Amino acid sequence: MSGEPVLTVSKAAKFFGRKLVFKNVSCEVARGEILLLAGRNGAGKSTLMKIMAGLGRPSAGTVTLGVEPEKTAYLGHATFIYPGLTATANLRFWAGMYGLDITDEDLAAVLERVGLTRAAEEKAGGFSRGMAQRLNLARVFLVNPDLVFLDEPGTGLDSRSMAMMRNEIVSFRDRGTAVVWISHHVHEDSILADTVLAIGNRKVEYYGPASGYEPEAPSC
Amino acid sequence: MLKRAALIAAKDLRLAVGGGQGPVQAVLLGLILIFLFSLSKPLGGTISAQAAGAIFWLASAFCLVLVFNDLFSIEEAEGARFGILSSPAQTHSVWIGKGAAGFCLLVVSQLVFFPAVVAFLGQSVNGPSWLFFVSLFGGDIGLCVLGALLGALSQGQTARESLLSVIVFPLLLPVLLAGITLFAAAFSGEGVDAAMDWVGLIFAFDALFAGAGLFLFPFVYGAED
Repeated sequence: MSGEPVLTVSKAAKFFGRKLVFKNVSCEVARGEILLLAGRNGAGKSTLMKIMAGLGRPSAGTVTLGVEPEKTAYLGHATFIYPGLTATANLRFWAGMYGLDITDEDLAAVLERVGLTRAAEEKAGGFSRGMAQRLNLARVFLVNPDLVFLDEPGTGLDSRSMAMMRNEIVSFRDRGTAVVWISHHVHEDSILADTVLAIGNRKVEYYGPASGYEPEAPSC
Repeated sequence: MLKRAALIAAKDLRLAVGGGQGPVQAVLLGLILIFLFSLSKPLGGTISAQAAGAIFWLASAFCLVLVFNDLFSIEEAEGARFGILSSPAQTHSVWIGKGAAGFCLLVVSQLVFFPAVVAFLGQSVNGPSWLFFVSLFGGDIGLCVLGALLGALSQGQTARESLLSVIVFPLLLPVLLAGITLFAAAFSGEGVDAAMDWVGLIFAFDALFAGAGLFLFPFVYGAED
């Protein structure tokens, strides 16, 4: 982690109508840093991430990107795939939307990386949840982002796909990509993170090194 | 922007044609309308050119609602709208792409409607054929420019079909009125000179709706849920 932050949030607040979701949220994310957003359901983690990614506007405060918008990618629980298109056609479409010139070799390499080589010409509508999310991950790999937003990417994945997802998140960091990550499994995933920002009671409850964060015991 | 709009249009056409249900439903609805109205024709009689034009454009307007509902629902299945919004693509490229795809599907539907108007309503183009094609082009541009804007407005709404219909029809009235008048002149061959004012009007509304779409679409499509 070094240099200028790739993302700076300063005193952000969000209202939905008259309902306050959170206020006074500030944080920075540097290259090669994994920031884990923690908090209970409905605390506003996804809302904060959408604001960070430019998919929503803060009611107050500012969000500053230190990288080009072309070098950011968002991966949520929705897979962004078109079920009627093949895996290859999906990736070609997204590459076009990012203005990337990709070759057949690029496509083959990225599909191999996520283990979808055999399914390259199959329609994505027939994919399992895990395969669909891996195709979504391939979309992110194509972009080769400097900053990636992951909103519960492990939702619905089996343990094998989840392990692969965790490995890829760590490899993002190793390549210098900044990661902002919302996870259902805070106990396990805070070990991989560098920094944790926990939201609760409409404010920041914790912001600091992941090693110093003590998540609440998961409720049954 | 145009390159990305072409990508979106190509993808939408591929999915719409591949899926098949949306365009087929739109064509069938239009055909049923034309056939039902043909039953109001007296036995052995003919229907007026004005009425035939009205039926054609009414079928086109209903078809439009189904086409744009179908096109905008493509992005909702797996949340791809967020993917597009988080990409560097300009939001306007979605409006142009959806509009272009809708235009193609509408024209294909009208290629089916027109023979039905000839067969069931007993019409033919007795006026200048250029007037028929200019009216069709101008009317379709107006329908699609507005359809692409309002399709985005109704996305994510549980009452999307009714919302789109309720909003779209009053706004389409000027274009529909112009289209009906111009088709009446094209079918009957009468009042062609007087109809020229309507040609100007239809393109003026196209320009007005295009301006509104250009300005409003990013707000409508990028609105938070």
